[in-house]
Amino acid sequence: MEYVYTLVILVGLYVILASSFNLIIGYGGLISIAHPVFYAIGAYASALLARDLGVPVVIAIPLGAASAVVASIALAVPSLRVSGDYLLIASIGFQLGVLEAIKNFSWTGGAGGLTNIPPFLVRSLGREAYVGLVAVVAILAVWLVRVIAHGPYGRALSAMRDDELAYTGLGRNAIASKVAVFALGSGLAGFAGALYAHYFRFIAPEQFEILQSAAILTMVVVGGMRTTWGPVVGAILLQALPQAITFLNLPPSVLGPIQGLLFTGLVLVFMFLRPQGLISAGATWGSARRHRA
Amino acid sequence: MTSVLEIQGLTKRFGGIVVADAIDLTLAAGRIVGLIGPNGAGKTSLFNLISGVERPDAGSITLDGKALTSVSMHQRARRGLARTWQNLRLFPSLTLLDNLMVAPRVYPGENLLRVLFTPAAVRRAEDTTRAKAMSILARIELDSYAHTPAADLTFGQQKLAGVARALMNDARCLLLDEPMAGVEGHAYQMMQKVVREVAASGVAVCVVEHNVAFIRDLCDEGVFMFAGKVLARGSVKDLMADARLTELYFGT
Repeated sequence: MEYVYTLVILVGLYVILASSFNLIIGYGGLISIAHPVFYAIGAYASALLARDLGVPVVIAIPLGAASAVVASIALAVPSLRVSGDYLLIASIGFQLGVLEAIKNFSWTGGAGGLTNIPPFLVRSLGREAYVGLVAVVAILAVWLVRVIAHGPYGRALSAMRDDELAYTGLGRNAIASKVAVFALGSGLAGFAGALYAHYFRFIAPEQFEILQSAAILTMVVVGGMRTTWGPVVGAILLQALPQAITFLNLPPSVLGPIQGLLFTGLVLVFMFLRPQGLISAGATWGSARRHRA
Repeated sequence: MTSVLEIQGLTKRFGGIVVADAIDLTLAAGRIVGLIGPNGAGKTSLFNLISGVERPDAGSITLDGKALTSVSMHQRARRGLARTWQNLRLFPSLTLLDNLMVAPRVYPGENLLRVLFTPAAVRRAEDTTRAKAMSILARIELDSYAHTPAADLTFGQQKLAGVARALMNDARCLLLDEPMAGVEGHAYQMMQKVVREVAASGVAVCVVEHNVAFIRDLCDEGVFMFAGKVLARGSVKDLMADARLTELYFGT
């Protein structure tokens, strides 16, 4: 049963990660691959606050998310002022830099990882409670992204992706819109990271590296960018698939590379054969909804 | 006659090319000024300087007496400066109505915190904005195309849509960059009607246009530009009768 709980929690966390990444790359049109690093920042911040500073976990988790928000703004503001393309390069550098820093400090647990992270809910209310918490947060995250994308804010983002100069000419601050979307998406990733940390109680920098970026990107692309349910379907599918592979009893040295091949291979296949993903977004904003005439 | 937009000594160089050379220009409420001149005279560049796409090297711009020169492009629009674009720049992924819905000066629905914490106020603003957009579309007889994707409209309709989008700003000053290029027939009449109405409501309008008939019929004053300089101003009829200017215009 514990295995099923673990699986459901992982699926829930990836639903949060994929949905929030969809907000950034799909709706915001911001090309960044650093999503796992905000997942990491949320996890490390919450874990360290709770473990070393004695902050109650229930407060440490939102503080973890807040740390990811702050870090994302620090990354986005300077790079977006240069240009949208610069964000991609800056995000790669940021991800590598933060992970290197985590590996080399002693107070982060170094490359070996951070252990003895205080648990949350499980001892008092049982694993079921944690599963419920993750499920609720995942549903809220999906709902939040949907409300934003389908409302006036999503319409403005759609206009911004079409023509940034015209958007600015209408009195809109494109940089502010981008930073807001990037910060919100990254904050959600940070929240997921904090939830991860206090359940598994062990985190290591290698969990947040480029393979993780590929996994989240694959979920969004395969599921369907700029749709509400695409990232959800992608997260469930791509979380279940590697689990299925583990039943093949392959040695770990083979398993890792196979997962990497699977993710990148799927992105390539979908880019060629079904670029819109399993669920496809309409060509016109709001076209999926009924017109309120 | 109250002056709305005042430009003094506006100068801009790109390398060795002077696109604006100490330009002085005043746009007054309710009046339509036509910018005339050959291609490369600096007409669109002047619009870019006024709307904030480019920053001038020297000179000043004021809107209703307040300095605009160091104000960012999006803030200028928020202060009531609206423009259209030569190459339209409609949002192809939005319907015609939604193109207008993203264009009011300020809009609570585009503040992430308000979207999340005051959804009722955002819904109300959405309703008001939709009603306003529909009434503007009705004025240009495009209301039946409200839910058509902007990219599917005819060229003439897209030109009108560009002006309609600019009208959502309730601007004090409206800059129209070649509104008539490629527009004929019904859309042509409609464009004339709209521009006249807008000016009559007290907006300062400036039009860049190669269609001489349109400029002559519509504008209260013409300004002739050449090589980044204002060479002459006066009634459009007089300007077009000036043999020297005609020669510069046609390059003969």
